Formats: sequence, C-alpha cells, structure tokens
Amino acid sequence: MIAPEVLNEWYPVAMAAQIRAGQRRVTQLLGQPITVALQDGAIVVTGQGGTMPVTEAFGHVWACPGTPAHPLFPIPEALETGRRLVDVGVVRVKCSPLRAVENFLDIAHFPFVHTDVLGAEPHTEVNRYEVSIREDSDEVWATKVTFYQPQAAKSAEGGIVTQYMYRVPAPTAAVLYKTCPARPDALDVIGIFVQPLTEELCDVWPWMALYDDTTPQADLIAFQQMIFLQDRSILENQIPCLLPLDPGMEIPTQADLTSIAYRRWLKKRGLTYGAQMVAA
Amino acid sequence: MTPHWTATGLSQDLPKAVAMAGHWQGQDLAIWRSASGRVQAWNDRCPHRGMRLSHGFVRGETLACIYHGWVYGADGGCKHIPAHPALTPPATIRVAAFACAEQDGVIWVAPADMVGAPVALSGLQPLRSISLTCDVAAVLAVEPALSGGDMLRGLVEIGGQACEVCLLVQHNAAGLTLHALCAVGADRIAASRWLEDLRRRAERKEAA
Repeated sequence: MIAPEVLNEWYPVAMAAQIRAGQRRVTQLLGQPITVALQDGAIVVTGQGGTMPVTEAFGHVWACPGTPAHPLFPIPEALETGRRLVDVGVVRVKCSPLRAVENFLDIAHFPFVHTDVLGAEPHTEVNRYEVSIREDSDEVWATKVTFYQPQAAKSAEGGIVTQYMYRVPAPTAAVLYKTCPARPDALDVIGIFVQPLTEELCDVWPWMALYDDTTPQADLIAFQQMIFLQDRSILENQIPCLLPLDPGMEIPTQADLTSIAYRRWLKKRGLTYGAQMVAA
Repeated sequence: MTPHWTATGLSQDLPKAVAMAGHWQGQDLAIWRSASGRVQAWNDRCPHRGMRLSHGFVRGETLACIYHGWVYGADGGCKHIPAHPALTPPATIRVAAFACAEQDGVIWVAPADMVGAPVALSGLQPLRSISLTCDVAAVLAVEPALSGGDMLRGLVEIGGQACEVCLLVQHNAAGLTLHALCAVGADRIAASRWLEDLRRRAERKEAA
C-alpha cells in the first residue's frame, strides 16, 4: 500500500522528444506497469487504473499516479533565452530513487568518485554552507556551496572554485545551479529527474540548461553520462539499498547538511517510497 | 555454536594494498591487506553512507572508503574525514572488525573475541578457491574418498597418483565456496583440473 503523499506527487516517466517522435515507452512507476505514448497529438500515460494526470516540462514527461497535490515545480531558467537545453538520456540504476537524489546533492564525493574532473585531492574540504527549507515553495535549498574543481564542465579549461546552489523541489528531482565556466556572471543549471520504477530500481534522467554555444551536443551528453556512470558504481553498492530516514543507521557530518535536510523533509512529508524507516 | 575459524579466502588471491569482498556467516566482509602485508576482515559497510568498503582503496596501513574517502586505521576506527581535514573524528565512528588470521596460505575469519589459532594444515599448499552451486552432500557423494563437514579431507587420485587434498568449505547463498589445498609437491595443474571435474560432477549430482 503506497501512501497518498507519495501517489500525489509528480514523477518523470519519459523524455518528451522520444514520445513525440512516436516511440512508445512501456515502463514502471512505483512498482506498477505504465505505458507512455502519443495519442492524437497528446502524450498519454496509462497505468492499471487508467490514464493519469500528465504534464510536459524541461524536456520530460511527468505523471502523477494519484491526485496532484500541487502543480509541477517550475525551473524559471529553462525559459531564459540563450540557454541550451540538453536532454541527456537515461541511466538505469539499481538503487533507491532517494539515494540517487541524495548522491546528486553531495559534493564531498567529487575528489574520490569524479577524480580529476569534479574534484581532486588534496582539495577535499567542504566549507560551511547554508541549508534551509523554503516555506513558500516547500523546497530544500542549499546555498553558498563552494568547491575546487579541476574540470567543472565540458567547457571548463583548468581548475576553478565553483559556486553551487542545490534545490530539491520534488521527492525524486533535484536541480543545481553552478558557476558557468564560459560566463562567470551566469549559472549553469543541471537537473536530475529520477523515475522510481520500484523502491530499489530507478531510471535517472539528467537534464541541463547551459550557456555553452560551442561544445557539440554529443560531447555535452557524453560528459554528463560519464559523471552519472561514475555515480552508479557507488549507488549500486550502498547498504542498505533503501535510504535510512531514521538517525542512527548512518553517521553524517557538517558536509552532509543538505542530505540531512532532504531526509528530514522526506520524513516530515511522508515521502517514504524508497526509504527505510527503522534502523536495522 | 562454539566460536570457530572459517576459511574465507586464500592468501595468494589478496595482494598487498588491495581490498576484496568476502563473506562470513551471512555477513558481507571487506577483506584487505595493508602495504606492510597485514590482512584484516571488516564489516563491508562504511558507517557514513553505507558504501561497501571492499570497493575502497588501501594507503599504507589504512583502508579508505571510495565514496567520500573516509580513512579507517588498523583497529577499524575512523582516522580522517577528507571533507573536514582539521577535524579529529570521534572515536564512535568505527567499522566492526572481525578476528582475522593468515596461516598456511589461508585467510581465516572468526568472531572478534576469538581466542586461539586456526587448525594447522601441515604438508599442504594452497591451490585455488572454487564456487559450486550444490551442497556438501553432493561433493561427498561423487568423491567418497573425501570425508568431513567444514573441512573435507582425503586421498584422491590426481594425474594417476594418490594425492592428499583438503577442501575448506564456506557456505553462501548460491551454494559453496571451496578453498582447496593439496599436498606439497603435487602437480598443481592436474590438481586444479581434478577440482574443476569435482565441481562438474557434484553440480550434476545436485541437479539429478
């Protein structure tokens, strides 16, 4: 029995361009079989109980298996002129969808998992940053995050101290804003939209809105795919598979403030699909 | 059950400064050898975010988690957290360590409070480890010269000659792992083929 709090959220289920091109996607959402297809020019998501509420945003198709508690979150930057919107594609990961989001919010792993790209020893220190739950939007935000990066993006030449902001606007989606190497006055936007197939299996759809007019599309996608494949080697080897929401099972530090806030936010809102509630 | 030593691998399969996955009585282990050669067996889980420590990396006499680089010293205590270089980690951050002994080319694991040494296997040399999808009864049924429970011993025919063998049994979800030793001076290639043949016969017996 899945809680209504979980059912009434929006989840990514496909890349919109693929469905619009006539592809039919037979997949799962929260353990139930669903089909995403084009019918009379409209994208339709069909589950066991019939069609479900659908919306299209940020290159992806979003579905709500229950009754939407609210509209899908906005990403205002997606509408800014001059940004390149990149649908990266899908990475299937055998892990809890919540673990996939939490990993995306984490910077301390950069030197060890994305070595010489997003981080490198001895630049391992995570400086104090700020985390809050924004009451107006009910989102988790981390701001004033900084980290030294040897190659912050495909367009970066040499190491820079990158500024980050992180945002969790939905239980299985996260968006980051980071220094744009090509335009120091602007921020690149990268999202991961995680489709919970089951509590222990997910499809991760990275998406980007960048200021980068020069890098070929294939190179941008390859860069991001490389990053997520490195993360997959971690995500498929965490014990337990489910994300522990009760303190005691895992030991965080100050560098994990975003993760701590995300876990509390999930627990408070009853968004426990993919979570473990009792310390084993 | 009285505490006892269980063979979890062969020394030859764990080079210096390497970590590998193992298991012991249903528990996943990170078994690793330090730069100086000391072998240890720990719970295969970093207390920080649950990452398997068997994926970690050895530097000197420490094992570090591959996820965030947390460094654990010889007693399983956390020595360093790279995200906070100036912090002395609290003593409560600790990986559970098991008793681990290396003797006769075999890596043995027991409860942390184990006293005494594993059984001596004199006159034998380590051969190889092999996994079987059957139980001990199937092995004994196809090779009646062997006897025992967790340690199968006997004189078997290898390359036309009688040869003493010792198979240290480790149970797992899929069946068995046998850590095999054979008499010093035996033809190791012939002994290895005998072992593979034993596996085929035992698995066929199990299926029948």
